[in-house]
Amino acid sequence: MATVNITINGRVVRAEKGEMLLDVIRREGIEIPATCAHKAVEAFGACRLCTVEITKDDWKGWKNYVTSCLYPVEAGLIVFTHSQPVIDLRKTLLDLQLARHPNTPLIQEMAAQYGVNKTSYEELPDADDCILCALCTRVCDTMGFAAISTVGRGHGKKVAPPLDQPPPACVGCLACAQVCPTNFIKFTQAGAHREIWGKAFDMITCTRCGKAVITKEFAENLSANRNIPREYFDVCDDCHRKELAGTMGRIANWNREEVTR
Amino acid sequence: MNSRLVVKPNLCIGCRTCELACSFTHTVDGKPGRSRIFMLDGGYDKLWVTVTCLQCDDPACVKSCLVDALRRNEVTGAIELNQEKCVKCMACVAACPFGCAILDSGHNQVVKCDLCGGDPACARFCPTKALEYQPIAQTQKAKKVG
Repeated sequence: MATVNITINGRVVRAEKGEMLLDVIRREGIEIPATCAHKAVEAFGACRLCTVEITKDDWKGWKNYVTSCLYPVEAGLIVFTHSQPVIDLRKTLLDLQLARHPNTPLIQEMAAQYGVNKTSYEELPDADDCILCALCTRVCDTMGFAAISTVGRGHGKKVAPPLDQPPPACVGCLACAQVCPTNFIKFTQAGAHREIWGKAFDMITCTRCGKAVITKEFAENLSANRNIPREYFDVCDDCHRKELAGTMGRIANWNREEVTR
Repeated sequence: MNSRLVVKPNLCIGCRTCELACSFTHTVDGKPGRSRIFMLDGGYDKLWVTVTCLQCDDPACVKSCLVDALRRNEVTGAIELNQEKCVKCMACVAACPFGCAILDSGHNQVVKCDLCGGDPACARFCPTKALEYQPIAQTQKAKKVG
């Protein structure tokens, strides 16, 4: 890919043509907030917090405000990540977010950084922590399961499995819960039993030590689609290592006896 | 890929310096439990075996990764985990038949040996040269002689 020069906050920066502006900004060590960006999935532009001001020399003074996560870099771009209109925009966004999620630590911290400690709007009475960044659903889609999705529009929009029933496509990998920036997605894990989205999973336990390794559904999916022998999942990582050490030990001991003999 | 990490259990004295070198290289607190290399009992008298990622030719961890976070570094030959891409589904931890991709529960991160980008600290600090990072030509020669 071709390398182009762009200007970020007055500094000339080299970037690959076509890569997303947010990646370039972060690579340059400039911190801008974003809650819906993750390298594992395609950019989505849900949170709008990564909005920056852009212009070009031949734009005759016109400027544009774009979500940097979705804006492909092109030659001659002039970017301002913290101009006053951008800061005002982020303040408004965080003010609104804080009204919807008054008790969510992530939103509280981000808003505080922009000087918003209390929302100027009315707080939502029965607020939850789901900021609708859709990272969970996008990660689930990218992994090829698509077990959950956003449901509804407007006020009632939420993340849920189809028809609010335990999702048949879910393999219980917990990736959705792991990537959730506000830890809203809840799961339970007790021994070899796991539960998420109302679906219960029995996990494969290590044949040596009994530790829970992976859900049966996930192991079967991986061995069917990714060509990994199913028996790899029968032993936990600790016992796998011990097994390898034992094999290497036997060979080393044999070598040692050879030498002394 | 010009060099590989060679483990010689017969030279190992079980001092765990490799584990310390590894955790201090990769983490701030340097707890040996956070190491990506493991000094284990070889099953015989005074025999210790250091186990770490074998950087397989056909790696199960890479095949199991559904978000493409694991990739081979063509320069060092190491399979490297892109932490920014990882979604912590634990597929690689479960799939590795040698148990060398592990969950660092303290940092809630999946970790594995990355050969320190081509200069493994464990080999540098090994006092008895039980761990050595050798050019491949040399390891192959040794094999032929032995």
